[in-house]
Amino acid sequence: MTMSRRLPWRRARAGAVLTVAALLGTAACGTESDVPASAGGDATREKTECQGPDGDYLIGMSQANVAEPYREQMDDDIRAAAEDVEQFEVVFADAAQDNSKQVTDVENFLTQGIDLLIISPNEAAPLTGVVERAYNQGVPVIVLDRKIEGDSYTQFIGADNTEIGRAAGEYVATELLPDGGNVVEIKGLPGSTPAQERSTGFHEGIASNENIEVVAEGVGDWLRAKGQSQFEAILQAEQNIDVVYSHNDPMAEGAYLAAESAGRAGEIDFVGIDALPIPSGGIKAVQAGRLSATFVYPTGGAEAVETAKKILLECEDVEKEQLLETQLVTKENAAEVYKRNSTG
Amino acid sequence: MTSPDAVETGAGDAPPLLRMSGIVKHFGGVRALRGADLTVGAGEVHALLGENGAGKSTLMNVLSGVVRPDNGIIEIDGVSVDLSSPAAAQHAGVGMIHQELDLVPQASVMENLFLGREPRTRLGVLDRAAMREHATSLLREIGVDLAPTRSLSSLRVGEQQMVAIAKALSLDARILVMDEPTSALSDTEVERLFAMLPRLRARGVGVIFISHRMDEIAVIADRATVMRDGCDVGSFEVARTPPGEVIRLMVGQPIEQLFPDREPPGSTTRLRVHDLTVTPSTEGGRSEPQGVELTVCAGEVLGLAGLLGAGRTELLDALFGVAGQRMTGTVELDGEPVRLSDPRAAIAAGIGYVPEDRRASGLVMKESVGANIVLSALPALSRLGWRSRGNEREAVTSSVRDLQIKTATPDVAVGTLSGGNQQKVVFARHLLRQPRLLLLDEPTRGVDIGAKSEIYRLLARLAADGVAVIVASSEMPELLGVCDRIAVLRGGRIVSEFEAAQTSQEDLLAAASLEQDTTSAVEAG
Amino acid sequence: MNAEGTTTSEKASEAAEPEGTEGSRRRRLIIPERFFTFQSYVALVLVFLAAVIFSPRRDGGIVFLDSDNLLNIVRAVSEIGILAVGVTFVILVAGIDLSVGAVLGLAATGTASLMMVNDMGMALTVLTILAIGLTFGAAQGYLSARLGIQAFIVTLAGMQIARGLARIWSGGQGIPLAYGEGPGLAPETFALLNSRTFNGTVPIPALIFAAVGAIAIVVVRKTVFARHIYAIGGNERAARLSGIPVLRVKIAVFAISGLLAALAGIIHAGQLNQGSPNDGMTYELDAIAAVVIGGTSLMGGVGTVSGTLAGALLLGILNNILALNNIDTNVQMLIKGGIIIAAAGVQTFRSRK
Repeated sequence: MTMSRRLPWRRARAGAVLTVAALLGTAACGTESDVPASAGGDATREKTECQGPDGDYLIGMSQANVAEPYREQMDDDIRAAAEDVEQFEVVFADAAQDNSKQVTDVENFLTQGIDLLIISPNEAAPLTGVVERAYNQGVPVIVLDRKIEGDSYTQFIGADNTEIGRAAGEYVATELLPDGGNVVEIKGLPGSTPAQERSTGFHEGIASNENIEVVAEGVGDWLRAKGQSQFEAILQAEQNIDVVYSHNDPMAEGAYLAAESAGRAGEIDFVGIDALPIPSGGIKAVQAGRLSATFVYPTGGAEAVETAKKILLECEDVEKEQLLETQLVTKENAAEVYKRNSTG
Repeated sequence: MTSPDAVETGAGDAPPLLRMSGIVKHFGGVRALRGADLTVGAGEVHALLGENGAGKSTLMNVLSGVVRPDNGIIEIDGVSVDLSSPAAAQHAGVGMIHQELDLVPQASVMENLFLGREPRTRLGVLDRAAMREHATSLLREIGVDLAPTRSLSSLRVGEQQMVAIAKALSLDARILVMDEPTSALSDTEVERLFAMLPRLRARGVGVIFISHRMDEIAVIADRATVMRDGCDVGSFEVARTPPGEVIRLMVGQPIEQLFPDREPPGSTTRLRVHDLTVTPSTEGGRSEPQGVELTVCAGEVLGLAGLLGAGRTELLDALFGVAGQRMTGTVELDGEPVRLSDPRAAIAAGIGYVPEDRRASGLVMKESVGANIVLSALPALSRLGWRSRGNEREAVTSSVRDLQIKTATPDVAVGTLSGGNQQKVVFARHLLRQPRLLLLDEPTRGVDIGAKSEIYRLLARLAADGVAVIVASSEMPELLGVCDRIAVLRGGRIVSEFEAAQTSQEDLLAAASLEQDTTSAVEAG
Repeated sequence: MNAEGTTTSEKASEAAEPEGTEGSRRRRLIIPERFFTFQSYVALVLVFLAAVIFSPRRDGGIVFLDSDNLLNIVRAVSEIGILAVGVTFVILVAGIDLSVGAVLGLAATGTASLMMVNDMGMALTVLTILAIGLTFGAAQGYLSARLGIQAFIVTLAGMQIARGLARIWSGGQGIPLAYGEGPGLAPETFALLNSRTFNGTVPIPALIFAAVGAIAIVVVRKTVFARHIYAIGGNERAARLSGIPVLRVKIAVFAISGLLAALAGIIHAGQLNQGSPNDGMTYELDAIAAVVIGGTSLMGGVGTVSGTLAGALLLGILNNILALNNIDTNVQMLIKGGIIIAAAGVQTFRSRK
């Protein structure tokens, strides 16, 4: 089996025993389990007694990928909101964009005995199973931003991307280009739901103004650098561009940089989405005049803590779905929105 | 513990160049050195003798700072020194020429000479002109004529060694340790190396020369120290001591007869090679066989002689299928043609091969003695790919007993055995397959004299059992002692054949070096 | 001349390879050789004890030792563990396989696609995917062993190719699994991979992992094939000159690695109800880490499968206890990096001793 051949059987047996013991030992423990995990979708949901405001509560927040500023903001919003609730302690886990890791994160939360789960799933199908397990163990589940499959959750909180896209389209059609003009659309990652919805909504929004034409589309994959290079190419091809509509702020900023170096930034209005209240976010870009407008894509963090309060402290039933409103951010209200939404 | 004999350093009452006394070193529970002493004077060539395992290498590793002794004193010029690291030893003036040279093959001669201390111009850029100039003068100083810009890999082993020596001297080495420097050299190269020694003497360098070859020591050494079992058992003036006495000191008992008596070979032809030619590979640098014709009878020992690079190893490689597709010609074993497409095919045909470099090509060093012995025979010892421990143990036990492999148990790593016993492990591996033809390349290189004798006896026994044996060796006395016939190779061709009983070293050398090398090889011993 | 003396003092004088002999074990300072042999088990036990000590407690119980938690750990490392077993074989012949994470992704995508899009039955799907993994691995082995391209390069390219194939196969999208009878649905039995047996306690992937580990241990202990692997890793030239079919053995170890990566991919699809071309990103690094912590030398010829299993479990326990204590993910990375360096450092210390 290995280098030194002394007493090989003994060593190997020790190794095997150790390994098998590690595996089977756990299996043996498993049979004594007092809380059998329920498998499959037909398991019963256990009702737990609501302790109300007298209890102390551990809340697990499972984030898909903290590396995205939007999701970091979501965590920050939850942290800030929970700080005001003395009964709440929130623990965070970051799946770093890995479905398997997120499944394990939720399992570890359940091991820690959380009283409520907030999850922003990396992807729907892979996380559905473990969220179901939590829900069926009697843990209330708040799903943020991205849905899971089925209905084994307590409340979904999210914004309607189609609605945001429509708001952006209407803003372009009525405020920026009431007399019509040429629009360039910079899209997010192809195939991703937000990219599809933000595009669909936008086209619905501009439909009211027949004189608006989408003359070119670029694919920026949500990335600033990609938005820049895509728009550089479009600037070469199109001589008349009035508005750039970008599926998020970073790509809009990238497009702005491209226009600036081409000396055409002054003749174009840039519109983005997300409006994160952070120094590198869209609100600051609007304040600085690089973007004409951006639309708040709310994280739902504060709302999730509100819902948790309703469930745990007030022992109330909550709606299955809570849709969040967007808000237009322009130079006029930028400072005020930043102050209100910022947690830092 | 023996006390060192009084040493004449040729400098009156001045302390000797090097004095090591009472050196003790344990490795784990093993006492490698049990209070060894060594004294070397300036300008002296001092031979360090002893069987493998006697502690020579450890003592030299202590001197070069590789190994820290547990106890003992080292003095250079009468001043106690602490050789705690190779750098410290180098600083103290100790230069070591290892068997495996510490040089960079891809770099040029001068780059090797100045590795890590390259001359620079004022701008900090590599000063190639200065480098070339220094290198040329360094090489000239020791009498070597080499272009400093040549790449090291294009040099022969002996030339590379010269570069290593030049490098050591350029680092102001006053004590130069050469660990078996001649084992990889042709006779001409050995002569060149020896011709350099007077220059070192003149510089006052003390040379410590480790060798197994008595003939060499008689020629070059002033004094010698013999080690056995981790101690020195005596120092003596070489010129005044008969060789028999030296061997007695080394072994602790006299060896009556180095080469065993042989039975005359049979007359059945075992191997017949016709027009064997190997197309050179793209790597080059090898003298591949050209139109080789050869027959060996059952029970016969055929020697392959030739200078370094004459193509001895290449011929054995080809006969073992190493050359694969590049080989043309026919090979018959017992009248049946065999296809030697790879070593597997050769082994299947009943050929065994003990290669030249047992560390690189023979043994899996990290594996046990037993695992190395059964390596080729595993399929035969197993059933449907599943190992049988019983069969393996039986095979190993009988091999160890049969070849008298000295090992604590067959489960220790093969790297812990002495050179001779390692060699026997490679033998055992191929003997387990009961070969009809056994190919041996330098079978006694780096093997002490006791084990040598045992290997010669084993050869005689195998031949008596009807195995055909081909031995390639650069040691002429060995070939004359063990072979029935000797074929001399030059440039991949067999240029002549001799009956061993009716030839001499002079005849073999003449045949080997004719046309190729005008300088006559040194007649050692 | 005393036989023992020759052996032992030669060992000393050749100080390069001081594997333990009788003496060095019994007497004299330093760490016994046995420690190194058992390095990974010792480390596993230490990490286990540390986990018990640092575990959060609830109602007087040690949360870490909760049976569900221990089973979760084995489940969580099952995919990496299976990959690591395959990679162990490759590393033992002094190779490396960087493609296993991507092959896992390809297999997961293929599994989902064959069942959801092609309506293939479960048995046929599994066999097809395993065959793909085996072939992919064997092809890499052939390129590396026969054409002499370094395994690092071949499998780096293999990683790209497997990812590319997975993206093409799925059109760049994850393919979610839905179970049921009829077209466009995956067979219900496949959902077993996401379930637990023995009264809903033991996750199926953990059982498969244990089985793979047990089989691999037996193969390494009992077969001539394994002896050949160690010989090639220890000294390829000597192995060739000893008549070992080097090319065949090398192709075989890469094929095993590919096969096990495909198996892990099937499990991945089952556990996550989805096959996505992005699955298994950087898993190869975790697998290699488990192998290294398990005491297998990247130089080849030295190592064990049981060590690798211990290495994988160690990583799993470490992840778990850090998560249970809500240690920040970024800090977790630092700690894991430290553990890998420590493991490699112990190895180096061993070879220098």
